[in-house]
Amino acid sequence: MRSKRITKIKSSRKTWNEWCWGWVMIFPTIAGLLILNIIPIFETFYLSFFKSGAFGKGNIFIGLENYRKMFQDAQVWYAVRNTLGYTCLVVPATIVIALLLAVALNGKMRGKGIYRTIYFIPMVAAPAAVTMVWKWLYNNQYGLINYLLNRLGIDTVNWIDNPKIALVSVSIIGIWSTIGYSMVLLLAGLQEIPRDYYEASNIDGASGIRQFFHITLPLVSPTLFFVLVTSIITSMQVFDVVYMMIGVTNPSYDSTVSLVYLFYNNSFKYSNKGYGSAIVMLLLLIIMLITVVQGKLQKKWVNYM
Amino acid sequence: MKKRIISTLLCTAMLAATLAGCGNTTDSAATANGQEEVKTEVTVDAAKETPSKDAVTISYACWDSNQANLIRTMADEFEAQNPDIKIDIQVSGWSDYWTGLEAAGTGGSLPDTFWMHSNNIYYYGANDQLLDLGDYIAGSDNVDLANYPEGLNEIYNIDGKQYAVPKDYDTIALWYNKTLFDEAGIGYPDDTWTWDDLKEAARKLTKDDGSQYGFCAGLHNQEGYYNFVYQNGGEIITGDRKSGYDEEATIAGIEEYFSFVKEGLSPEIYDDQARAEAIQNGLCAMGLFGSWNLSGFAASDFMKENFDCAVLPMSNEGGKSSIFNGLGNAIAATTQYPDQAWKWVEYLSSKEGQERQAELGVAISAYNGTADMFTDAYPMFNAKSYIDMVDYAQIRPYSNQTSVWEDKAYELLKDAYAGKEDTADACIKVAEMMNQAISEE
Repeated sequence: MRSKRITKIKSSRKTWNEWCWGWVMIFPTIAGLLILNIIPIFETFYLSFFKSGAFGKGNIFIGLENYRKMFQDAQVWYAVRNTLGYTCLVVPATIVIALLLAVALNGKMRGKGIYRTIYFIPMVAAPAAVTMVWKWLYNNQYGLINYLLNRLGIDTVNWIDNPKIALVSVSIIGIWSTIGYSMVLLLAGLQEIPRDYYEASNIDGASGIRQFFHITLPLVSPTLFFVLVTSIITSMQVFDVVYMMIGVTNPSYDSTVSLVYLFYNNSFKYSNKGYGSAIVMLLLLIIMLITVVQGKLQKKWVNYM
Repeated sequence: MKKRIISTLLCTAMLAATLAGCGNTTDSAATANGQEEVKTEVTVDAAKETPSKDAVTISYACWDSNQANLIRTMADEFEAQNPDIKIDIQVSGWSDYWTGLEAAGTGGSLPDTFWMHSNNIYYYGANDQLLDLGDYIAGSDNVDLANYPEGLNEIYNIDGKQYAVPKDYDTIALWYNKTLFDEAGIGYPDDTWTWDDLKEAARKLTKDDGSQYGFCAGLHNQEGYYNFVYQNGGEIITGDRKSGYDEEATIAGIEEYFSFVKEGLSPEIYDDQARAEAIQNGLCAMGLFGSWNLSGFAASDFMKENFDCAVLPMSNEGGKSSIFNGLGNAIAATTQYPDQAWKWVEYLSSKEGQERQAELGVAISAYNGTADMFTDAYPMFNAKSYIDMVDYAQIRPYSNQTSVWEDKAYELLKDAYAGKEDTADACIKVAEMMNQAISEE
């Protein structure tokens, strides 16, 4: 009886010690998260009920006026449509290509390191610089892509100024620049899969394609889920590519403006921070909904070993 | 037991280390009335006694890299005369400049001195971001506002307080490719040209295969349709602060400007930079450009060889105009060194500084009587045409928060520009938007 009590105290001391250590270790992250993310979220929410004054002074409380205005603003709905459209174009394409590349680069192949580096480089380059180069590639007077198309006998495509194509052009840059990141994550996931499964299936005479769908895909699904959730969130926050490529005077503006771009224009260009905050709250709500739905759906397809 | 002691010690040490970063700032703020204050006083005294030892750095923000290079020369000369002041010139692009400046203003860290523009002066001046220069000007031997055009002084005067001293002024001129004109056998533009002449020449200079256009009518206000509006007797903003976009003369002016695109005499250009490129790579034979482009154009061999400028053509009824604007040098209200900042602005605004600016060809100096020095800086071009237009030039239209409606006007006009919407309908929409924006100022 007595000895049992002592062990109980001892073990609770041990848990206390571990608990303490745990908090110390994550303290820097928690502090950063609080200061840079959590507090600003509430401040933005608070600000969305105000007509913001000049230079952060003299905010006037206007209740739900910003939200009322937002729901009547056609441009906000264009932005929602464009943001979702961009995400639908970028995320599936990125994941499919990244997964295929990861599988290919996971096998035995010469110069693997070089290929991995090449695919990852766009992730390292500054988005603004990358967009400037793409802008030149897309140029309809002297751009490289149109030059090549003309050589093949195809008419010049107005990649940037044509509202019907611009979102696709922007998405191509998005796909190109995020493949490498997703690929590296998936590669790490693939390397977790024990070789035994493949050896066993080889003995059973399974083909490469069967192995991919019955071993690789299910076992990489936790990583795939992570990549899916994070790339949807990043795509929903698209800003720099659109901002650099399409100005407000551009005819493609309405068909490419993203929610973050609209937030930027309203908050900083038109000095209406309250309205900008309301737009960001809408974005937060959409991302939250998508993420919750994904969390519910994961039980259906993600296999944790 | 020993282990636990070590771990607790480590624990506290790490906590202390992570907190140290934030701790410092809060500490000094909390004990601001104690020893800290004494310390700062000592350092201030030391700085006063030996001014040349640690020179004060005055930041100067602007948005034009062509000008910034030449202003650097002036800053070097100024530093040589004032060894206790260093000038740090900070350049950013036009729109980044204003977003950055507003963020800096909100955070209380504006550059010491910076360029001001008619679009934004009210927003900054009325919200206590700028230093009232009235007393400084009154006490200065070198600066007298009477030496500057009255219209420019007025831009920067809010309720009797002078928030900036005029730096320069600018007008818009017609640039044309002499080589292409010679090839087509057309006489160069001059002050007898009307809109019809411009269009006639544009027709002759346009090639059917799209390799060459007669005119570059980019979607731009100051270097574009504003000029046509005022030539036609229209206005962008009325005397009683209403939108002029729904006036018949305004719509007709915009219509005339847009017609170059609709008739295939100009490419559709939306991007600011693309307009200059269209001229410089020989795609367009003519275009409207402000005087601030001179230093950039003079640096291009292609422009020097092939191009010249002329006054803007007048409307068919003989209406003349050119959009006229000027920048000012302002000082932040929050600057730590108002006296040194004023010394720099005083130099820039003095006869000496303004003449130097004109001589170097930075921009057309605002100081009366320096215009000839500016034209002399560009002997390869007929830079005088910019100055000739001042007599009938129209101040760039502005209200208290011009930037709010100016960009939105582009958004509403671009379909009409591309020929997808009736210009009059688009203009009426702009007028509604603009009246709404002005009423909220």
